[in-house]
Amino acid sequence: MKILIIEDEKELLGTIKNYLTAEGFLCETACSYFEAEDSLSAFYYDIIILDLTLPGGNGLELIKLIKKRNIQAGLLIVSAKNSLEDKIKGLDMGADDYISKPFHLAELNSRIKSLARRRHYEGNNELVYNEIRINIDSNEVFVDERKIDLTRKEYNILVYFMVNRNKVITRESIAEHVWGDNISCVDNFDFIYSHIKNLRKKIEQKNGRNYLHNIYGIGYKFSDR
Amino acid sequence: MKLLEKTNRTYLVLSAITFLSAGAVIYFVLSFIIEDQMNEKQMSDLAGIVQNIKNNGIVPNYYPFVEVREVPGQADRPINATDTLIFDVTEREKVPFRQISSVVSIKGMKYLIIIRDALIEKSDFLLTIAIVVGALFILLLAALYIINRKLSLFIWRPFYKALDELKGFTYNDPALKFSTVSEIDEFVELNKTLENLTLKIISDYQSLKRFTEDASHEIQTPLAVIQSKLESLMQNPKLKKDQAEMISAAYTSALRISKLTQTLLLLTKIVNGQFPEKKVINLSELLEEKIELLRDFIDEKSLFVEKTISPECFLETNYFLADSMLMNLLGNAIKHCKTAGKICIYLNQNRLEISNSGDPLPVPSSKLFERFYKINKSSDSQGLGLSIVKEICNLNKWEIQYYYENELHKIIVSF
Repeated sequence: MKILIIEDEKELLGTIKNYLTAEGFLCETACSYFEAEDSLSAFYYDIIILDLTLPGGNGLELIKLIKKRNIQAGLLIVSAKNSLEDKIKGLDMGADDYISKPFHLAELNSRIKSLARRRHYEGNNELVYNEIRINIDSNEVFVDERKIDLTRKEYNILVYFMVNRNKVITRESIAEHVWGDNISCVDNFDFIYSHIKNLRKKIEQKNGRNYLHNIYGIGYKFSDR
Repeated sequence: MKLLEKTNRTYLVLSAITFLSAGAVIYFVLSFIIEDQMNEKQMSDLAGIVQNIKNNGIVPNYYPFVEVREVPGQADRPINATDTLIFDVTEREKVPFRQISSVVSIKGMKYLIIIRDALIEKSDFLLTIAIVVGALFILLLAALYIINRKLSLFIWRPFYKALDELKGFTYNDPALKFSTVSEIDEFVELNKTLENLTLKIISDYQSLKRFTEDASHEIQTPLAVIQSKLESLMQNPKLKKDQAEMISAAYTSALRISKLTQTLLLLTKIVNGQFPEKKVINLSELLEEKIELLRDFIDEKSLFVEKTISPECFLETNYFLADSMLMNLLGNAIKHCKTAGKICIYLNQNRLEISNSGDPLPVPSSKLFERFYKINKSSDSQGLGLSIVKEICNLNKWEIQYYYENELHKIIVSF
């Protein structure tokens, strides 16, 4: 799966590229409007990550270009302005998703995987990790083909972990992913622990392995190692 | 007071004074002229009578108007004018007369000649003048009223129309262009000035908006770099515990700066009125939804929630701001509630009350809505939540109050 990352901040571009490459994506980069224009006319991409503030032109213009040339890539826009108008305008013009800077890499990864799934696994929208299988369309979770009942929040947490497997995920990132941006009005993340504990218990009840590891004071990692 | 009303009142007072003094002047001038005329007439009457006695020997006597008596032995007396009262048979009262009397000798005889004329009664005279002046005054008022109506219809119409257009102006609109053209220089100038002023307001507003967005962009981008680098660093499996803790602390602080900038940007945007879209919101539903979203935090602190939410409370406002207000109020109540304490939530069509149990505030309650005010200085909270709520209330013209009673901190928003 090929991704074009359009971002003018070189450091950020590098980090995103490394992170997504490690996730198995083929990444190419562009750091100005013109570079992006060149890449878009020369190559095919499955997903485009587009920062709206670019040297040489507004990112919204690039969306117009993408739609005009009928480029069939999934489009995720990134903006540091966090301005509602940009978001609405971008989505109206045909972007598939929006994320505002600064973002958690795990969140970015989760959005991109979701975009990728929507484009390529039609009819068979599943996440599988060893004995755990999640059907994204029906929101059902199976351990060794036996269904387990999860609350909405536990389900969201598990999907987030499955998408970001083998990565350390911070508590803040989980909280924002599951409870939304507005969660900043509360500054104690201990409550996540009880959800993780319940999730672990429900998986282990069906003889699943414990993949949820505590990482010091940072957060959690979903891994079989 | 309207301009027309004000000018009308001034007109009224001034013309009342003018008419009163005009009445007085008329009274005195007329009195003088009448007296003068009467004087001349009586003198010529006297001369006529003397001539008649001298030539024809006729001694006239028409009481009370002409009285001629022989007064032998009296010395000649020059003409003497006086006012007197004489009983009038027809009116059955004493009426004022003006008389001249003189003693003259005609053909060796002495005659006392008195000539009298009835005076117009002073009160009658005054009344007549008052009626005339009063009638004129009322006529003037009527004319004034009609003229002003016409004036406000024709001359002032462009002004009021422009005023209406100005009232509807907001800084998200294109520059104001008045639709009416006035012939009056002052109005034309006023409209031109206002048009330029709105143009300036719009451009200032746009540049302010651009500035806050650019500033936010300039801060968020490096923060995004820091955050992503730290997240990448966390992935290193060989991290030692102390290293992980340092990374975690740096990460948390970077997140805090980021949230802080976002919140400050939000505050600026609210104050700038950058949330113009309004729609009707079911506040009851939204409130229930937010309580559910925060359920984990409530359970974590073992709080008891007592809610009285009337269904179907609708409010026309910006959705994002309503959401933000509820989250901040609920988050604030949960954060400051005692462990195992109580949170009361009350909503009806007119007001929202959210209270939480806790010890009394150590400071005056007015400080509560100040930016960056924190009761516990070392707490991780931003101290901006209630400022945001207050700005949202100001923007929507809602009233916000704080009370402490029965060991409950209560915040009331009246719509």
